[in-house]
Amino acid sequence: MSQDQFGVLDRRIFLKTALVSGAALTAGLPARSLLAAGKAPDTIRVGFFLETKPTMIAKGEGWFDKFAGGKCAWSEAGSGAEINTAMAAKSLDIGLAIGSSPTAAGISQKLPYQLVGMVDNIGPAEDMIVRKAANIKKPADFKGKKVATPFGSTSHFRLLGFLKVNNLTEKDVTVLDLRPDAEVAAWTRGDIDAAYVWSPAKAKMLAAGGESFPTYKELDAKGYVIADLIVAATAFSTAYPDAVTGFLRAYGNALEMWKTKPADAAAIVAKQAGVTPDVARHDMEEYDFVTLDHQLSGDWLGSPGKAGKFAEVLKRTADFLVVQKSIKAAPDLGSFQKAINTTFLAQAAKAKT
Amino acid sequence: MSAIPALGSLWRALGERRVTAVSVLVVMLAWVGATEGGLVDDLFLPSPSSLWDGFLDLVENGYKSRTIWEHAGLSLERVLSGFVTGALVGTFLGLAMGYNRKVEAFFSPLIEFLRPLPQLAYLVLLIVWFGIDETPQIILLFLTALPVSAIAAMDGVKGVSVLRMQAARSMGASEWQVFRYVVFPSALHEIFTGARLAVGVVYATLIAAEIIAGSTGLGWMILDAGRFLRSDYVFVGILAIGIMGLLLDRLLLAIEHRVVHWAGRD
Amino acid sequence: MLDSDAVKGWLVWGRRQVRRSASALRDRAETGLHGPHWLSVLSVVLVFFAWWFVHAFALVPEVLLPGPGEVGATFIDILRNGYRETTLWQNSAATLWRCGAGFLLACLTGVPLGLAMGYRPRVRAACDYIVQFMRPLPPLSYLILLILWLGTGDASKIALLYLTAFPIVASSAMAGVWTTKLERIQAARALGASETQVFRYVVFPSALPLIFTGGRIALAAAFSTVVAAELMAATDGLGWMVFSASRFLRNDVIIIGIIVLGILGMVLSRLVLVLDSRIVHWRGVE
Repeated sequence: MSQDQFGVLDRRIFLKTALVSGAALTAGLPARSLLAAGKAPDTIRVGFFLETKPTMIAKGEGWFDKFAGGKCAWSEAGSGAEINTAMAAKSLDIGLAIGSSPTAAGISQKLPYQLVGMVDNIGPAEDMIVRKAANIKKPADFKGKKVATPFGSTSHFRLLGFLKVNNLTEKDVTVLDLRPDAEVAAWTRGDIDAAYVWSPAKAKMLAAGGESFPTYKELDAKGYVIADLIVAATAFSTAYPDAVTGFLRAYGNALEMWKTKPADAAAIVAKQAGVTPDVARHDMEEYDFVTLDHQLSGDWLGSPGKAGKFAEVLKRTADFLVVQKSIKAAPDLGSFQKAINTTFLAQAAKAKT
Repeated sequence: MSAIPALGSLWRALGERRVTAVSVLVVMLAWVGATEGGLVDDLFLPSPSSLWDGFLDLVENGYKSRTIWEHAGLSLERVLSGFVTGALVGTFLGLAMGYNRKVEAFFSPLIEFLRPLPQLAYLVLLIVWFGIDETPQIILLFLTALPVSAIAAMDGVKGVSVLRMQAARSMGASEWQVFRYVVFPSALHEIFTGARLAVGVVYATLIAAEIIAGSTGLGWMILDAGRFLRSDYVFVGILAIGIMGLLLDRLLLAIEHRVVHWAGRD
Repeated sequence: MLDSDAVKGWLVWGRRQVRRSASALRDRAETGLHGPHWLSVLSVVLVFFAWWFVHAFALVPEVLLPGPGEVGATFIDILRNGYRETTLWQNSAATLWRCGAGFLLACLTGVPLGLAMGYRPRVRAACDYIVQFMRPLPPLSYLILLILWLGTGDASKIALLYLTAFPIVASSAMAGVWTTKLERIQAARALGASETQVFRYVVFPSALPLIFTGGRIALAAAFSTVVAAELMAATDGLGWMVFSASRFLRNDVIIIGIIVLGILGMVLSRLVLVLDSRIVHWRGVE
């Protein structure tokens, strides 16, 4: 009868429903993979890209599962940024073939992962394609033209480097943010004059009235080196070092197969990526797949205790990103060197097949 | 000395708003406590100070070679273009549908299909067909606003008192006059309600639209900042979008009050 | 005892708010299909014909618009073999599950809160500003934050849908309470009803039409958003299927996705309309 009686009842009903739904919500949350005490993980959450690279061999043949000692749960990523987000959200254990640009950003932002290996040194595989009809012969010709690239990627990084090196600003050249597939569509419509991207989009545009405008040699020399890397969540690699080593071994084997039996390798990659073996082979030939041994050298990641040159590449990339306002601040070189952990790589290289 | 009684009367004057004020205060304290106190990493929830810094930074230096006002302006332009075109065409269509059963029967399945259709799903198709400039974005927003306005206008016409229409006709009014002086004014309230709904939906779709090529717009800015996990920019952008949305809604409300001052009465 | 003047005061004010405030307000159930049915069928047929026509006469390059025949063949293929190792049922179920879970959670929490806000001005003062601020926020804008906080699984997506639907449902429930006629409450009390009974037999039924209207709008918003939620970090779902197909320029799969989504959306709205008219059969009756 009194207001209080009702008020209490109303509040009780509200509380009860709130509690029930709160419990329902929490119960619905995915169970975080509790790191069990033991040498092998149950599941390894891997973020990967569907692309024409030897990574697809090891995935398709199940080598990753076999050598790492656990079942891999594969999540396809659309960009390196997605892998970073997933790592920050603790939804991934390993990021496969994440670009050096997002990796530098991730390390600068203290995301909880370490750089444990390289997939490739990109080199000529990502480069500028220009429309023949646009008549672009030298850098200055880009003025007033429209160039597309996926923002945040290694291609974007190289493109911005290209502009800087040639004293072009974003007022001279219109830079558009397009995913590779959208670039192909835009190219077909004639909406863009050039694109900085990787295959298969690159190959498609070349075949449709495009020609190559090589920039990589000059840019690599000036320090705009880009690479695809393998990162592992720090918590995961501390708990399961053997799994990480095994993972890298699996990749090493895939690399071996590409070097010794390219035709077979291309066939497997083609099937995984949904392209013809010829396309797969041609795409893979553009990359510089650095062997595990060479990755350990001073040129690249370096060996445990002895930092390699790649840390400087990451530092330079991060500094550039700061200028671009993409990240707030870049830490010093030492932080990058610390973020590179080659102990697993060294073990993997030792245990040849 | 006079501060305390002044505070006291302020407290009394606030009345019910005190509860709101306390609630806001609690939220702010929790926010500051969690972030400055180090409970939550800056990446997940920026502290008020870093948000403020981010805001100043955006205002001073812009985002990726455009000022934040330019980004906001471009977003607003898109919202308005899509909304105005969609609402106009939709209202016309709805009026026709309300008046004529045949027109309604013809367009009904198309409207019923279009209305619940998730916008992002056909966005990809629009990009492929219409290119990468403003066109697909405006078309998307147009198609978002159209069914909402059409249904509202249709309901508005159908809700008109038949007695009124008959009375007007019996007084010798032509169909056009009946429409202009009886039907349209009565339906206006519904049309405006539909317009407000449409603005809401278009605004929500705006972010989806700015995923298309372009390096501009508040929605694009949030997405791009999110790529590099710049939570401070993301938050500022979200707040800006929220405030802009609120203002738009209030604006429409004010317009409705000026124009439809007889709403609610029958 | 509730001060009846105060009650009257805010009920009247509430009603004015209800008349002013927009979305949750259509007290009239939406009209269904009227008029000659053959015309409706005709318009659908015309659309398909136009499609076939444009394709057959190559008015648009093949790569941009596959013909109805090709799309049909792909549809059968997907039914049999699935799309990239996910069946159509799987994708539809995943999308519907996310949408449903988010929406239901929003109702379970939003309706009680909305009722509380309608009944108690203090609760309203404490919570409404949050609810009103959430409404104009485009869902996709804070998806990245949700993914950061809740991971890349279903939790972040369901949370997104929850946050989309919640303010709509809560506002509607609140407005619903305000439409209760004061005379009815007074009459019930005069007849000796307890507060619980007043709530259960007078206030709640009065609020129900608006609650349902809000629910319909919220479900529509949630369905629209679930596709956007599958843009990032998804491994199944109809939205994922459309975006994945767009990466490989499989326009035929995109079109299938759009059609399935459209039909699902239509079925959902129809379902809710039917539920509405069955349960809230006193809508509009005074």
